[in-house]
Amino acid sequence: MVRNAALSMVLIFHLTGTRVMAQCCASGNPFISDAEQPALQSRVLTAALTYRYSHSEQFYHNDSPYRDLNFTQTANVNYTELQLGYGVTKWLTVMGDLGYFFNKTLHTDGQDPMRGYGLGDAALYLKFNLYSNAKARFTISPSVGMKFPIGVFDQEVDHVKLPISVQPSSGSFKYIGNIFISKGVGKKMALAGFISYEYAQLIESENFYYQYGEQWIGALYFNYKIIKNLSLDLQIRNEYRAKAIRENKEIVESSGYNVTCFTPQLTYAFKYNWYLSVFGDVPLYKYYNGIQMSFGYALSLRLTKKIDFISIQARRQANTISE
Amino acid sequence: MNRMIILLVLSTLILVSCSKATTEKSAGDIRLQSLTATLNPIEAWDTTIITVEATGSNLQYGWEANHGDFRGSGKTIKYAAGECCVGLNTITCRVFNDTGEVSDTIMIRVTTHYHP
Repeated sequence: MVRNAALSMVLIFHLTGTRVMAQCCASGNPFISDAEQPALQSRVLTAALTYRYSHSEQFYHNDSPYRDLNFTQTANVNYTELQLGYGVTKWLTVMGDLGYFFNKTLHTDGQDPMRGYGLGDAALYLKFNLYSNAKARFTISPSVGMKFPIGVFDQEVDHVKLPISVQPSSGSFKYIGNIFISKGVGKKMALAGFISYEYAQLIESENFYYQYGEQWIGALYFNYKIIKNLSLDLQIRNEYRAKAIRENKEIVESSGYNVTCFTPQLTYAFKYNWYLSVFGDVPLYKYYNGIQMSFGYALSLRLTKKIDFISIQARRQANTISE
Repeated sequence: MNRMIILLVLSTLILVSCSKATTEKSAGDIRLQSLTATLNPIEAWDTTIITVEATGSNLQYGWEANHGDFRGSGKTIKYAAGECCVGLNTITCRVFNDTGEVSDTIMIRVTTHYHP
């Protein structure tokens, strides 16, 4: 019983584990590291397939819309991501994800759109169950991880290389550390907090030198079980990215941002441990250094399957004994 | 089994390396004569037209910028860069055909659009 309650809580936060890339059309995967969840129980596997549509169009200067441009530009991204998590031991969970872009398109008035597509980045995380008290429904789960730029970073159209902003892969290794703390409150509620840090490695090639700024994310989660199979999640998340560095160690003044998003989410639990979630990202506050296209909104749909191998084994043994 | 998984994950994390193979290509019958831009420097989001002049048979043209983006293709192309790309940018033009390949670069300075 206690185990099931703990697993349910894990799944609730697994399903809420979203992250938005606050820049409109930055290269690399747009969201979901899915680090924002506690470690899984031993021999529990979760697999999730997420689809996300995002739209951006408004240029920002600091915290205000910038309207002194004589053209309009919009960006939209259709993206899917497969995530896998497995509780190797009771203290260690291995997680991975892989992204694919159906399109990553920049539209400018009167011009042909620029469209990138293909495999994005892959990520691997080790998550630790530092402290877990099932009775108090309290967990502390730090994790470390790495993103691998295995996808497309040199896409061309008619021998013309697309700009970095629509390339599917970020082209850079990234190192991530984070901590997730969750606490159940009463029978139907849970609160959680999450802090993450990301460091991007320098991208250096024959004629390319670029380093994304470091990133901090802080999020607060509220979960409420509305009825037996339906839960509501509300998330407030702040994402900060420092300015990037380019050739000759020059700081890219129009890079980096500070964006706060609100993410409401509904999750329905079906039979046989299938879960369907729908959620959206709405910016509440945006601050962009220099002039940058800002994040507009995103809508996502996620299907998750959980497999508890220990429960399956226990059922098989029980059946064998009864026979 | 669990130890194997942990070892596999750790080794993947640790043993990340990348290699890059470079191949020198001959110029063949291609002679690159010039690579010019109509405007330089340009303000962010303004456009400059870059043209490459070369001789050779059945030439094809490839373009790459470390910052900014192109419109069109072929021997003449439009280049523009947003505020994100303010600075001295390198545009590389590659001219190639069945006999070989030649490349050249031109530096375009992009200045800020923002004048408070």
